[in-house]
Amino acid sequence: MEHIITTEHLTKEYKNFIAVNDVSIHVRQGSIYGFLGPNGAGKSTTMKMLLGLTAPTKGNFTIDGKHFPQDRLAILKETGSFIESPSFYANLTGRENLDIIRRILDLPKSAVEEALELVGLSEFGDRLAKKYSLGMKQRLGLAGALLGRPPILILDEPTNGLDPSGIHEIRNLVKSLPGLYDCTVFISSHMLSEIELMADDIGILNHGSLLFEGSLHDLRQNALKNGFATNKLEDVFLSMIDKDNADRKQRAIL
Amino acid sequence: MNSLMIELRKEKRTGVIPVLFSVGILGAAYAFVNYMVRKETLLSLPLDPMDILLTQLYGMIMVLNLFGVVVAACMIYNMEFKGNAVKKMYMLPVSVPTMYFSKFVILTVMLLFAVTLENAALARIGVVEFPHGAFDMRAVVAFSLYSFITTMPTLSFMLLVASRFENMWIPLGVGVAGFLSGMALAAADAALLMVHPFVIMLKPAIAMSAQPDVLVAVVSVVETALFLGVGLWMAKRLQYE
Repeated sequence: MEHIITTEHLTKEYKNFIAVNDVSIHVRQGSIYGFLGPNGAGKSTTMKMLLGLTAPTKGNFTIDGKHFPQDRLAILKETGSFIESPSFYANLTGRENLDIIRRILDLPKSAVEEALELVGLSEFGDRLAKKYSLGMKQRLGLAGALLGRPPILILDEPTNGLDPSGIHEIRNLVKSLPGLYDCTVFISSHMLSEIELMADDIGILNHGSLLFEGSLHDLRQNALKNGFATNKLEDVFLSMIDKDNADRKQRAIL
Repeated sequence: MNSLMIELRKEKRTGVIPVLFSVGILGAAYAFVNYMVRKETLLSLPLDPMDILLTQLYGMIMVLNLFGVVVAACMIYNMEFKGNAVKKMYMLPVSVPTMYFSKFVILTVMLLFAVTLENAALARIGVVEFPHGAFDMRAVVAFSLYSFITTMPTLSFMLLVASRFENMWIPLGVGVAGFLSGMALAAADAALLMVHPFVIMLKPAIAMSAQPDVLVAVVSVVETALFLGVGLWMAKRLQYE
């Protein structure tokens, strides 16, 4: 299967630390790729680089065969995104916020109602976005990403701030998206339990380095080979992170 | 055009347009009230009636315009930073320099509206109150254009500053500091001080003649273009983080 997102040795260095270190990932077209890692692992920074919010220090990436920065507009036209906290105009209603995005993307008016419906915000569409609860803001951000059914979705912890039923609802929605309109989803989370319910492939990131990339089946095989418990994938993930942290400590001592 | 329409939709409930609209109304009202109250004093000054009309009332109008421009520039970017909306804009297929330019156009048009309203009030005073033959419409038009052009560097500079700081108090503070330092330096003769955009804006207010100063006008146009160019360049080159 063709890869729609590929990164090659992607690196982001700040003054005193490396947020993303030589990361090469491969996201298959039409798949859900779960990007896992503890807080501060570099998931959001990687996603920000893919969207041009921050420049890579080294390495490069392609999205649907296009390169940044020369193809910036073409990439963003086919990518729906939601990074970290929701972004919205506080002075506008939810519906007006989506209408701004709709006009930028040159979509029909019906796209706004469709997106509101999809995330369950229809009845709150005329409320000012600043008066939304955290969960509603999260849904609004997601609606903005889904507007116009983009072929690529980059979602950074989209279930943050949602209640359990909201998490369940959004998880099912994300899971259904590739089937609904043949899109590719690149989604991050720090919870493997959440990702394993929807992802086809996963990448595990710790301290900016990619520890693993492959299918859930490959992850189990990898865990067996390394002597980790494989009955629960959450334990596999935690064991991998712990082992990597211990190795790092050891290297630092030496 | 589409980008301008999108920007106008974003301005809803921000107060950007009402601020500059109010400045125009207030400036016009001030001109009427001041002239009515100080009519005798003003007309007894040893100056040409047109110079009295245009320069003696302009001081307060200029202050209103200045604070209107400072506040509107702060507000027009504050709404981008408030809910982190600007981050979403960077993730959409929208040209950030075009967005910047649209904001510049909105502020410029609203300032032009305010200046027109204020000068229309001055023209009305001249037509109604001045003796026959003393009023010169061409002088009013020339001074309107001159006061508009000399305000533009401040507008262009404030938009640039507002676009770079998430905390609205910083550009607001820069605006107040610019006004105070401009007041202190405006009367000085050194042409070099005209690099200060607020000094340029104050020039017509401290002049005793309504005759536009060509050098001041040229420097205004150059500074406006320079600050706009820097703003567009930054919008194009600098990433969100």
